[in-house]
Amino acid sequence: MTQGVVELRGITKTYRIGREIVVNALRGVDLDVRPGEFLAVMGPSGSGKSTLMNILGCLDVPDGGTYFLAGENVGKLSDDKLAGLRNKHLGFVFQTFNLLPRLNAIENVELPLVYGGDRHARRQRALGALEQVGLGDRVHHRPSELSGGQQQRVAIARALLNDPSLILADEPTGNLDSRSSAEILSIFQRLNDMGKTVVMVTHEPDVAAHCKRIVRMRDGVVARDEVVVKPRRAEDELAVGIGAAE
Amino acid sequence: MKLYDSFRSALQSLVVNKLRSALTMLGVIIGVAAVIAMVSVGNGASQSVQNAILNLGSNLVTVQPQFGNDQGLRGAGAQAQNLTLDDMRSIQDQLGASISAIEAEQGAGRWQVTAAGQNWNTQVTGVTESYPQVRDWALDSGDFFTTSDLNVNAQVAVIGSTTASNLFGDGDAVGQTIQLRQVFGGGKDARARILNFKVVGVFATKGSTFGFSRDDQIIVPITTAQHVLTGQLNRVNAIVVKATSSETMDVTTSDVNSIMLQRHKISDPANADFTVTNQNDTLAALSSVTGTFTLLLGAIGGISLLVGGIGIMNIMLVSVNERTREIGIRKAVGARRGDILVQFLIEAIALTGLGGVLGILLGWGITEVVHRIPQAASLPLLITSGTVIIAVGVSVAIGVVFGLYPAMRAARLHPIQALRYE
Repeated sequence: MTQGVVELRGITKTYRIGREIVVNALRGVDLDVRPGEFLAVMGPSGSGKSTLMNILGCLDVPDGGTYFLAGENVGKLSDDKLAGLRNKHLGFVFQTFNLLPRLNAIENVELPLVYGGDRHARRQRALGALEQVGLGDRVHHRPSELSGGQQQRVAIARALLNDPSLILADEPTGNLDSRSSAEILSIFQRLNDMGKTVVMVTHEPDVAAHCKRIVRMRDGVVARDEVVVKPRRAEDELAVGIGAAE
Repeated sequence: MKLYDSFRSALQSLVVNKLRSALTMLGVIIGVAAVIAMVSVGNGASQSVQNAILNLGSNLVTVQPQFGNDQGLRGAGAQAQNLTLDDMRSIQDQLGASISAIEAEQGAGRWQVTAAGQNWNTQVTGVTESYPQVRDWALDSGDFFTTSDLNVNAQVAVIGSTTASNLFGDGDAVGQTIQLRQVFGGGKDARARILNFKVVGVFATKGSTFGFSRDDQIIVPITTAQHVLTGQLNRVNAIVVKATSSETMDVTTSDVNSIMLQRHKISDPANADFTVTNQNDTLAALSSVTGTFTLLLGAIGGISLLVGGIGIMNIMLVSVNERTREIGIRKAVGARRGDILVQFLIEAIALTGLGGVLGILLGWGITEVVHRIPQAASLPLLITSGTVIIAVGVSVAIGVVFGLYPAMRAARLHPIQALRYE
């Protein structure tokens, strides 16, 4: 059996809001993600998909169950250990891009290597990552000087920098127009073609249709887990889109 | 995270918020400048006091008369003896080469002096031949009188530079004759004594001690003072011994003390009819006073530094709050608590450290300005390297102390909450 990137067994998570209200955000989630998968997590709000993302992203620890990330037992590690794990194994792409406004594109991309890895190869690797997302000519632009789609591409470059085991994207196209969305999705698909493992949270079926597998959450458990027979290719849509516009 | 990155990131964020950084720094700048300026005034004051004391001559051990107790009668002193010229000669003979020089003095009061049609009123003092050596006071022109002048009660005088210029203007005083006049009685019966003295030397300019000009006085042989001016034949007001060095002063003091006790036949030192004062003790007593003064001034400056520090804490808390999202992002990509802590701590230290350096410059500027105020020109203002090191050290320490709490708050932020923060 090949080792999975993610191995969740019976994950539970309970939030307490105030003194009285207890929210069972996750009630026993089992999930395996194997290398090279492109997985969409869907579900209505309150289904627990955000909590699942936080736990997958090592931003939060589960109350119960076990979580193996790239063979490492995440368990209940300390904050600093989790930070190290995030740095080494995870790349994040957020709906709101979450770039540092004071830094230019390449400095934003370099950030993960500031907290791990050596300083000398930093600039070179950041440049390579920016070129990979097609922004080799916007290296010194600040986020405020870039369009939404470009900002998200900087964020993807940042997520790629440490060559993570898993890229986690939380509604990456939520703030983008459809053309930029298609561009972002095509980048994810290209990365996936190159063997990157991607988990993406979305509530748009159109976006999820680009993934190879869709996991639907409901009331804190995995309700359905299905394989997409023929994922849509974002590149094709872009070509058509351009053709239609002309 | 490497320290280099922390520094870069800290400086970057200070540059981004230029106005805010400048205003925050102002608190530290003013505080440090206040400490520097205040302490330098304090140091200057203590230096000027020290100079004033040393102006009287260095390494001095002074014997002065004191009326002792006689069978419970304080100051009655039936047996109290004057200090005499013989006391002085005896100390001189017994200590010999173990002291540098010795002299005795008798004040002769103020006299009206006339010369070349000018007149002046000044202090006259009788001294012995080694006075210039003891007082470290060279002559500008002429020569000091000698033992042979003392032996014959010669009516010769060495005068201060101010006295010389008041009586003779720019002309040469040496070789001239001055007249000391004293009026007795009053009205019709008034009689005046007029005494002629030959000026044999003029002192170099010395300056003043505690407001008394040392340059306005007339020095005559002590025997002349005793026999001609005061009539107090067997009395001196002070015997001044110059020790060979600051280190030998204590030995000299106790030597002088025991010689005097023996000569005055006093068995219990508590009943001594004289006191021996050591210049080191005087200096120590005065520097403890000026030290307290300096400390007080420093404390006043320190309070403004404290206020500046609180300003730093305030602005750092605002900064942490504003950058919650940034902290979340940094944590998401792998920043540990320590990385965030160091980042914000360095930012605070950069603020206070830079403020400290600017404060030193400002403080230095203030002392320079004070120097140019005529009334304060004589006050030496000292910025010592110690003051500077302490000021910078304290301002950096303030950065650590007041930056630590905000930095800890930043480090403890939960990444999810920080990322969601709007």
